Formats: sequence, C-alpha cells, structure tokens
Amino acid sequence: MTAAVEFRNVTRHFGPVRAVDGVDLTIAEGSFFAMLGPSGSGKTTCLRLISGFDAPTSGEIRIFGEDSGHVPPNRRNVNTVFQDYALFPHMTVRDNVAYGLMVRGVDKATRRNKAEEMLSLVKLAGYGDRKPGQLSGGQRQRVALARALVNEPRVLLLDEPLGALDLKLRESMQDELKALQQRLGITFVFVTHDQGEALSMADQVAVFANGKVAQVGSPTDIYERPATKFVADFVGSSNVLPPALSRQFGGPDAWCSLRPEAIRVVEGAGQVTGTAGSARYLGAGTKLSVHLGRSEDMEISVVLPPGQAVPAPGTTVALQPMSGALHVMAGEK
Amino acid sequence: MTTRPATLPVRGPGDRLSDLFWRRPRLLLALLIGPPLLWLGVVYLGSLFALLLQSFYSIDEFSGLVVPEFTLKTYAELIRPSNFDIILRTVMMAAAVTAGCIVIAFPIAYYAARYARGRWKAAFYLGVMLPLWSSYLVKVYAWKLILAKEGIVTWAAEGTHTSGILNALLSLPVIGGNSLSTSYIGTWIVFVYVWIPYMILPMQAALERVPTSMIEASSDLGASSGQTLRTVILPLALPGVVAGSIFTFSLTLGDYIIPQIVGSSRLFIGQAVYTLQGTAGNIPLAAAFAVVPIAVMLVYLAIAKRMGAFDAL
Repeated sequence: MTAAVEFRNVTRHFGPVRAVDGVDLTIAEGSFFAMLGPSGSGKTTCLRLISGFDAPTSGEIRIFGEDSGHVPPNRRNVNTVFQDYALFPHMTVRDNVAYGLMVRGVDKATRRNKAEEMLSLVKLAGYGDRKPGQLSGGQRQRVALARALVNEPRVLLLDEPLGALDLKLRESMQDELKALQQRLGITFVFVTHDQGEALSMADQVAVFANGKVAQVGSPTDIYERPATKFVADFVGSSNVLPPALSRQFGGPDAWCSLRPEAIRVVEGAGQVTGTAGSARYLGAGTKLSVHLGRSEDMEISVVLPPGQAVPAPGTTVALQPMSGALHVMAGEK
Repeated sequence: MTTRPATLPVRGPGDRLSDLFWRRPRLLLALLIGPPLLWLGVVYLGSLFALLLQSFYSIDEFSGLVVPEFTLKTYAELIRPSNFDIILRTVMMAAAVTAGCIVIAFPIAYYAARYARGRWKAAFYLGVMLPLWSSYLVKVYAWKLILAKEGIVTWAAEGTHTSGILNALLSLPVIGGNSLSTSYIGTWIVFVYVWIPYMILPMQAALERVPTSMIEASSDLGASSGQTLRTVILPLALPGVVAGSIFTFSLTLGDYIIPQIVGSSRLFIGQAVYTLQGTAGNIPLAAAFAVVPIAVMLVYLAIAKRMGAFDAL
C-alpha cells in the first residue's frame, strides 16, 4: 500500500518558535488518521502543511509520492473541513457545495446534480436553497463536509471537526464520520485535542508534544502501551510510576504506566500500601486517589468498579496491579 | 456566624437613580436619545422639509420675489438644457470620482486589513487621516499649483520626456483642456484625492471582517487568487464599498469649491445652488437643484439594495 501522506524530517519555524520540529510520519492510504495533542503542540501546523496553507522550513512532504511541500493549495488534490466551517455567507448552501466545481469550470447542470448528490450524502437533501446563516451548527458542519468532498479529494483534512458541537451531536457525528470514511475509502486526517474523539474514530493516532511526534500507533497501543510519560498522562490519565515504584508493584526497574482501572484495592496492608483520599463518582465507577506518602508524596488514582464499597478517607488500603497491567514506557529512560 | 442583610442599603441619590433606571430601562433610553432625536427632527429634517417646500414655489420674473404657491414650474426649469447639463455633468463626475476611489482604495484597504499589524497599522491610520487634518482650501490650492501649466506635473513630464503622454491626455475631447488645472481630468484628480479617505476606511472595515479561513477555503477548493477575489472577497467587501461610495458620491454631488478652483469654468450643482441663492436670489430654483443630489442618492441606494449590497450586513 502506498502512503497517502509522508512527512520526512519536516520542520516549520515561526521566528524562534519551532512549531514543527523534525517530524517523520507516514499516513497510510485509506486510513482514518488522528493528530492528537494539546494546543501549541504542532498538530494544526502539520495539517496546514498538508493542505498547503503553510510551507515547511525544511524537510519534505510527499502526497502520494509527489514532493508537495511548495505546491499551492489550489493545485493539491486535498480538501479541508475548517474548524469554523468557513462557509461563504453570501452563497446558498448549494452554491457553497458546488464552489469547488464552479472554479474548475464544470457546467451548471452537472454542478447542480453533483451538489445535490453530496447534500444527500450528508443527509441535507432539500436544504440547497438556504443560506448558511439559516442552518444550525451541526448542519453547517455537514455542508462544510459536503463542500470538501465534492472535488473527490484523495485526502480529506478535518481541523477540530467536532469542536464546536455539543456533546450529543458530537457523538452521533463521530459515528457518521467513521461510516462515511469507510464508505468512501478516502484517507481522512483529522486534528483534535480530545483523546476520546481520537481513540474512538481513528485507525491510527499520532500524539504530538512540543512540535514532535511522541508516539504513533493504533488507539489500543496509545491507550494501553503509552511510550512516554506525556502520552500516558495526556491520553486518559494513566498513573506514571518512577522505576522505584514500578519495582514495588512487582515490575522491572524502569518507568512504567499503570491504568487506574487495572488496579485492585483491598482494605488493610499489602504489597503497596497507601492512604485513601478523595473519591469522585463517575457513573461507570468511582475514581479514588490514594496517597503513598512514604519516600515521596506520590498519588495514584484508581477506578473502583461499581458495587465495590468506597474506602473512607484516611483508611489504609493495599494496591495490587492486575496481571500484565504494568507497562514499560520505552520512550522514557 | 454574623448576620448580614440579604439586601444592601441605598447609599444615596446616585443609587436611587440607578434603581429607577434599572426598573425602567426605557426611561434611560428616552433620556439618552431624546435630545439628539429632537435636534435631528427639528433642525435637520425641519430644514430639509423647508427646502423641499421652497422648491415647489416659484419666482416672479418681473419683481424677482418668491411666490409662495404650489407649482412644478421650478422643477420643469431643471430639465432645461442648460440646467440639465449641470446635473448630468455633476452626476457623471460623482460616478467617475467614486469609481476612481474604489480602484485606488481597494489595494490600500486590503493591505491594511490583511497584512498591516501593530506599528504599520498605526502608520496606515495616520497616513489616511493626516490629510483630513489640514485645511481643505489649502489642499485644493496646492493641487492647483501642482496641476497648473507651469506647475510640477508639467515640469516633471518635461524632465522625464513624457510630455507626449500629458499632451495626449489633455487633447482628449471633453475631459481634456489647456492644462490639467483647467480640465475635468484635474477636477477629477483633486476630488479623488480629497475624498479617498472616506472610501478607504469603510472598505478596510469590511475587508477586516472577512475571515482568513474563508479565503483559505476558496483556495483549498481549487480557486486561483483571481477567482477568490471575484467570488469571495469582493462580494463580502461590497457593503464597505457601498458605504464608501455613498460618501464619495454625495460629497462630490454637493461640493462647490473644487470645481471652481480646479477645472473648466463650467458649473456643477453646488456652484449652481451657490449662485442661484446668492447673487440671483432665486431660492426656489436653488432648492430644486439641492433636491437633485438627495433624489440621486435615493436611486443609488435603491439600486445597491436590489443588487444585494446589504445582504451580508
């Protein structure tokens, strides 16, 4: 399989700021790829390097094997769904969707048919005559999607596509985007700071930190086997154990991650003993923080399954990791 | 625990007044906009109405006195060839000045809206506003010297061996003349110079409201920069262009000093009003002339509205 997009040692500097700092990345054709990271981590700049709104300071960006780093956006077969949708307010929904065809000189009848086809693809058939201002946020998002898909791009870029939607709508759009991507077989690359979104939609996730890629892998890899402290902490708040503590838990002498739901809590003393702290009810369980106040002031968070009694604050509890839950972080020395 | 009241005491007349306004927000609104509304109603609309009324009177040709009886005779005089020429000349000049202002102001406004930041933005505002701070008359006379036959332009044209171009320009029918300062071209140049800030500022405000992502979206979808300009930027900047053109158009329609100092000695509406109400004492005809710019502007706005210039507001 060819790579849809390939970053080869790409950097992008804005003055003294290294927004993207030596990124190597391969995005496989037909995949649903997430770029995940906090704001300022370089993920959006990477997306803009693919769309062509920005050019790399050094390095190569290959789109289907062609060096594209300095090709203007209008000559790239890549389309973008913008975070603010960027719909043209003075055009109807149909003209917005048909815009990409219009600027390429496609005749009016074909344009109209294609636009209607795209609008029914995103379940907005019959909305063609409205203006973007008359639509809800979710509908505008679909128009932006239809507009970006009308040119049949080889790569579709989505910049925080669900950021402006409320929770309920966001969840249903996640399913729809995933289904749409599978149906069309186009490579989707999306940027998000929401790990839940990245894990639930993407086939592959790249976690960005400080302009570098901290880890690339499947959602399971990222979540269960984080490579660095940053990834462990950012993707779903794993416990980060320094080497000494790892040994106490029965692991090797290395930095390890331990998921809060993979720890058993028993009242009384044991292998690792701590003091129960505050508890937070989550619905699907209760999150308890346990202080291991011996050598250092270390806090471990644990998720208790529903039904288990929550130890009162101050109770002495023993912690026991489930077998195989302790994972060595290869990226930390 | 100390007991603290749920309601804080009134601290004085200021609080009482503030309470009153809080309970009756409309009272505050009435107090705020009442005086200016009164001024607008009486002084502004009142005098406009008086003007309209005067234009329906006529003048007795023997005594030279105004006859206060309703008649359309004065308006009929407007379409007499000599008077109609004045109207036509003024409207054409206003249109040409507006077109010139749009073409010259656009790149400046675009630069200021999209690229100028910090210090350069301040320099832009200063540069645009600075000419407005000096006397209008001084600027117009300065232009007369620049454009005169013995002036800087002629001198520069001779120095650069481009007198041919200048002479070709001046030998054009109607708009040409003996020198730039005595031709319509000269009048046009001075009008454009004097009114251009009024075009740049609203245009810049409109362009600033076009999000960068919209321009990126256009290019992302395959549009060249020219296509983006025509299909996205210009339509979105149109309300600003119309706002600016309302200024340049109506200011040109009403001005009577520039065409008197720079240009052929043929009359513009403003000059006609000035002479008719002054030396000629023909107030009704002066009033009828003064109604023309108002009528032209109303027609202009109606056309702009129909073309959808205000849809994006």
